[in-house]
Amino acid sequence: MRLSSLLCRLWMTGFLAAGTLFGLAGSASAHPHVFVVVKSVVVFGQDGKIAAIRHSWTFDDMYSAFATQGLGPDPAKLASDLQQLAKVNVEQLEEASFFTFLRVGGRKQSDFSPATDYSISLDKDKIVTLSFTVPLKNPTTTGRALILQVTDPTYFVAFDFDKDRAVTMENAPAGCSLSINQPQGLSAADQKRLEEVAGTNDSPGQDFGFKLASRAIVACP
Amino acid sequence: MKDPLLRRSSTVSLRHLLLFAGALVAAVGLISIASAHDLFAQTPARNPFNVGISEGGGRATGIMGWIMAQQVAFERLLSGSVRAIKTDTSALWTLLGISFTYGVFHAAGPGHGKAVVASYMLANERALRRGIAISFFAAVLQGLVAIAIVGILALILNATSQQMRQTANFVELASYAGIAVLGLWLVWRKGSALFSVLGAKAKPSEPSAVAHMHDHHHHDHAHHHHDHAAHEHAHGHAPHGHPDHVHDEHCGHFHAPDPKTLGDNFSWGGALLTVLAAGSRPCSGAILVLVFALAQGIFTAGIAAAFAMSLGTALTTGALAAVAVLAKNLAMRFANPESSRAIVLARLFEFGAACLVLLIGITLFFGGALGQG
Repeated sequence: MRLSSLLCRLWMTGFLAAGTLFGLAGSASAHPHVFVVVKSVVVFGQDGKIAAIRHSWTFDDMYSAFATQGLGPDPAKLASDLQQLAKVNVEQLEEASFFTFLRVGGRKQSDFSPATDYSISLDKDKIVTLSFTVPLKNPTTTGRALILQVTDPTYFVAFDFDKDRAVTMENAPAGCSLSINQPQGLSAADQKRLEEVAGTNDSPGQDFGFKLASRAIVACP
Repeated sequence: MKDPLLRRSSTVSLRHLLLFAGALVAAVGLISIASAHDLFAQTPARNPFNVGISEGGGRATGIMGWIMAQQVAFERLLSGSVRAIKTDTSALWTLLGISFTYGVFHAAGPGHGKAVVASYMLANERALRRGIAISFFAAVLQGLVAIAIVGILALILNATSQQMRQTANFVELASYAGIAVLGLWLVWRKGSALFSVLGAKAKPSEPSAVAHMHDHHHHDHAHHHHDHAAHEHAHGHAPHGHPDHVHDEHCGHFHAPDPKTLGDNFSWGGALLTVLAAGSRPCSGAILVLVFALAQGIFTAGIAAAFAMSLGTALTTGALAAVAVLAKNLAMRFANPESSRAIVLARLFEFGAACLVLLIGITLFFGGALGQG
């Protein structure tokens, strides 16, 4: 009797270990494959409201090689191929809300019209930069503060703001200011803080992409 | 016959409780893998920048941030080492090492393949070495498929990224269909196994019915199987007969794990189907490193890297398969094999794992098919 209950416990431990492993495997999910350096412009309209976000995304070398595979090679065909690719990209990006998330006073303001002015350029190392503008369906004031995040909630793509002047303003009314909150990587304190935030977050999807994403904060008087 | 059963009844009920709890834990674990992929939520929109494989991070907790950080670092190291090979061929070893480690870490995340392999092991497999072999071949197949896609499309046909995405997407959909077929096959086998033990149990006038059935399957089965290949019920029991030693100790027989046992109780079709279902979906990292190597003019280095990734993946999935097989064997051993309820519960559990494979396959297939449209 004692032996059998001991064995039962042993067996139970085995199963628990298996379950734990599966559980861990389930939670260890974030693994980006594509890396993007983001530069964005917050475009104000004549009325002083924010009318659009203009993006310029530079991809990592591996994805750039993938994206440009089989294009060209002669310059005229390459140009039209790249334009076609840019079109496909922004069309598909629309389903993903352009990975662009705006919050005004804590409220989501991420209704965008189809992208305009899209194009892809290559630098001398064939690194891909995708540029496009996403107009807001309802141009908005900054309220107390407008927060812009560029992130892939599924974290397949890792977006990072450029080190230098990642976000700028265009036609901004006098007195508007802009600052960028860079997350401090994954330090232990940050990790803890992010988990705390995640715990109190009202939205069910505690997405890593959001937690790691830099925030650009625009404030106008 | 009645006496020992009565004496055991108190421990047996405890065992049942534990068996049930263990099954629950394993099921919750599997479901958490599945839900990490939004299997049970709506399918997320296809990522515009994927490589045709609907691979996403899904939601992650901060605990695994370390693994994620490793992956970011590896992905960057990968492209750096591919570049380095152009000037220094000894960098190939660096690339292989990084690729292997990348494979290990990448497989530590969730994957339909791993969920399928683990469920298959829980439902059907008891031989540790075979379980590891199945996950090894699945991982190698994964590398081969990536090499084939990039080799044929990009190298030979000079296809564009969009065309590669379509192909990879199609391959992925086919692998989902494969998972569903594997699930159907398992459900059929496990379902008939379950019904036959239920049928045996429903005859209270023959208290030895279950024990007898076991004798029948573990000892006479070899002949049975060969003589009546078309007898589906016999097939349904086939995989359970394998750990003969467990039951044989009680029955006073001993079967050495000879090569015959492998042929008797093990279906090559099922194992092959598992390898195909779990391994035919290539990983994005392999496709990316292959295309990048091709762009650098050193495709062979990309092939080597893809294989190194496969080996790394095999290490992790093999460990997962081993845990699944061992856990199941332990459960089988400690659940009293003479107790009819334990047998029913075990069959029920296997049937549940089989259903899970089917569910994963169907959900993925339709999710993928809809996402495509």
